[in-house]
Amino acid sequence: MSIEAIKISKRFGQFAALDNVSLEIPSGELVALLGPSGSGKTTLLRVIAGLEFADSGNVRFDGHDISDRTARERRVGFVFQHYALFRHMTVFENIAFGLRVRPRDTRPSKKQTQDKVHDLLRLIQLETLAQRYPSQLSGGQRQRVALARALAVEPKVLLLDEPFGALDAKVRLELRRWLRQLHDEIHITSVFVTHDQEEALEVADRVVVMNHGRIEQIGSPEEVYNHPATPFVYNFLGNVNLFHGRLEGDKAYINERETGHVVYVRPHLLEIARLPNGGSHFRARIKHINAAGPLVKVEATAEWGDPVHIEMSQEKFGDLQLSKDESVFVIPKDVKVFQNGEASQAK
Amino acid sequence: MATALTLRNLWAAPDRAAQATTESGWVRWSLIAVAVLFLGTFLFLPLAVVFASAFAQGVSVYFAALREPDTLAAIRLTLLAAGMAVPMNMIFGVAAAWAIGRFEFFGKSFLITLIDLPFSVSPVVSGLIYVLIFGLQGLLGPWLAAHDLKIIFAVPGIVLATTFVTFPFVARELIPLVQAQGNEEEEAALTLGASGWQTFFRVTLPNIKWGLIYGVILCNARAMGEFGAVSVVSGHIRGLTNTMPLQIEILYNEYQFAPAFAVASLLALLALATLIVKSAVEWKTLRSAEQPEASAVDLRTTEKLTPVIGAKAA
Repeated sequence: MSIEAIKISKRFGQFAALDNVSLEIPSGELVALLGPSGSGKTTLLRVIAGLEFADSGNVRFDGHDISDRTARERRVGFVFQHYALFRHMTVFENIAFGLRVRPRDTRPSKKQTQDKVHDLLRLIQLETLAQRYPSQLSGGQRQRVALARALAVEPKVLLLDEPFGALDAKVRLELRRWLRQLHDEIHITSVFVTHDQEEALEVADRVVVMNHGRIEQIGSPEEVYNHPATPFVYNFLGNVNLFHGRLEGDKAYINERETGHVVYVRPHLLEIARLPNGGSHFRARIKHINAAGPLVKVEATAEWGDPVHIEMSQEKFGDLQLSKDESVFVIPKDVKVFQNGEASQAK
Repeated sequence: MATALTLRNLWAAPDRAAQATTESGWVRWSLIAVAVLFLGTFLFLPLAVVFASAFAQGVSVYFAALREPDTLAAIRLTLLAAGMAVPMNMIFGVAAAWAIGRFEFFGKSFLITLIDLPFSVSPVVSGLIYVLIFGLQGLLGPWLAAHDLKIIFAVPGIVLATTFVTFPFVARELIPLVQAQGNEEEEAALTLGASGWQTFFRVTLPNIKWGLIYGVILCNARAMGEFGAVSVVSGHIRGLTNTMPLQIEILYNEYQFAPAFAVASLLALLALATLIVKSAVEWKTLRSAEQPEASAVDLRTTEKLTPVIGAKAA
């Protein structure tokens, strides 16, 4: 089922959580709402679910306006950040809940409910824990039960609010890959909220980057990462070096503060060399080297005093034999220049 | 000195951190002695006296006193008043806790103050309020008299006064609980298609169950034991408007000590029963709060997860 949000606005007192947001999600897609806290992403998700009502604007499912329907009537699957499992019910009862509260004429029989729950328990690979209570499960297990519970009512739309937010790093990674595989399996239109750019880029078909109640950019993970539309998106997706500069023709001159442009360079797009190679470059002094991990992270001070972050492969680092307080040349391989007016908002 | 030393060795905590916060044996024993002496004088001794005096003239006198028609009427009236006040305050308490715990609205702090009012007002004043409203010279008195309705010096007044005095118990017990639990589970139930009543009976009520029972126990104990407010509105008509506490007073004033203490022993038994149920509930809540957090079942999350084909969910 496709989802359309049309010109949604929502205020909490003086705070504008959503400011005229429009979004279209085609049927069967897995979409990430990505943004810092307070950007309105959770509010948008809750408006789609009917747990929150917009001050203005419409929500459509498959072209039908459902803005006035309650959460109960919208029949969406919703997975909460803190699981919201019924603490006094077993895993089995939690998953069966949505089936057992149906009106008598559409309620499945006891046998059908049991079969359905066992199918779902197999899907989340927790068949042996059916009789446990939520407090006896780990975070990752609880989140999977919450997902199974939401899927039990066969929703046309699955909405997940920071589904992996409360989990530790390893379980998180595992569970998001599992979610991606699950989505490829059942093709249910899914929207999940996250503040973790890595998670959004890895899992989603499309990423919606939000900031201050507005949508900054919508696009595939490649698009938003490689062609960020605004300084905010550039800044939010991955690490970045920020220099003041000036644009003349197709050349950017950095370190000229009085002019009206901001130059963005990703740390891995800066190269360190012992000698200037004739192209564009600047001098820097190495302050700190962190060689733990797949990439070596170098902190340096540019000739005009700003800090510069540079990333390189272990191999390259081995070739260069860098040491602290050494003076080197830095060669930008690719830069992105934004107008100052837009850039000031990205800070 | 020797005993003090051995006891100290027995009681001393093994690690240093505990030692730093532990008093010397002398201080500990004197504190314990003061506490025991206090409890003994003010709680255990009076309780023992109640039962001793009740049975002072033998078991037959005790049971004869309880079978006396006026006493039986008082017991019935007490049960009736509590039987009406407690369910009313239970319903009100749940509704108030739900409204206060879940919603922000204008006048919320005023409502909380109102709920606390019966705690801060003397019960005698509470009783007088009803006399001033429903009494013959009261605000609604003439209208009630014209329609032949009796509230003051009758059973309805007693029920009203009891309800007023026991008003805060359930609500006060539940408000912090409901606030702490948040409403995510209710929202989850809603998105799963549950109606408002289904959500209440299947999700909300089980979650507040023990707090509710606890509140009801306290409410009931107070409802049966209430003296001041009921005394003002009752009119002390024997066999008609006397509750157990009022009956005890009358018997005592008439120097019928054994029967007075016999009825008193019933209320004391009620208090004991309440305490037992209360500790049971506390033990139970403590246990459900202490359920092991993910005890060593983490193994499965480290396994590779793959959606199982064929188990299509939607």
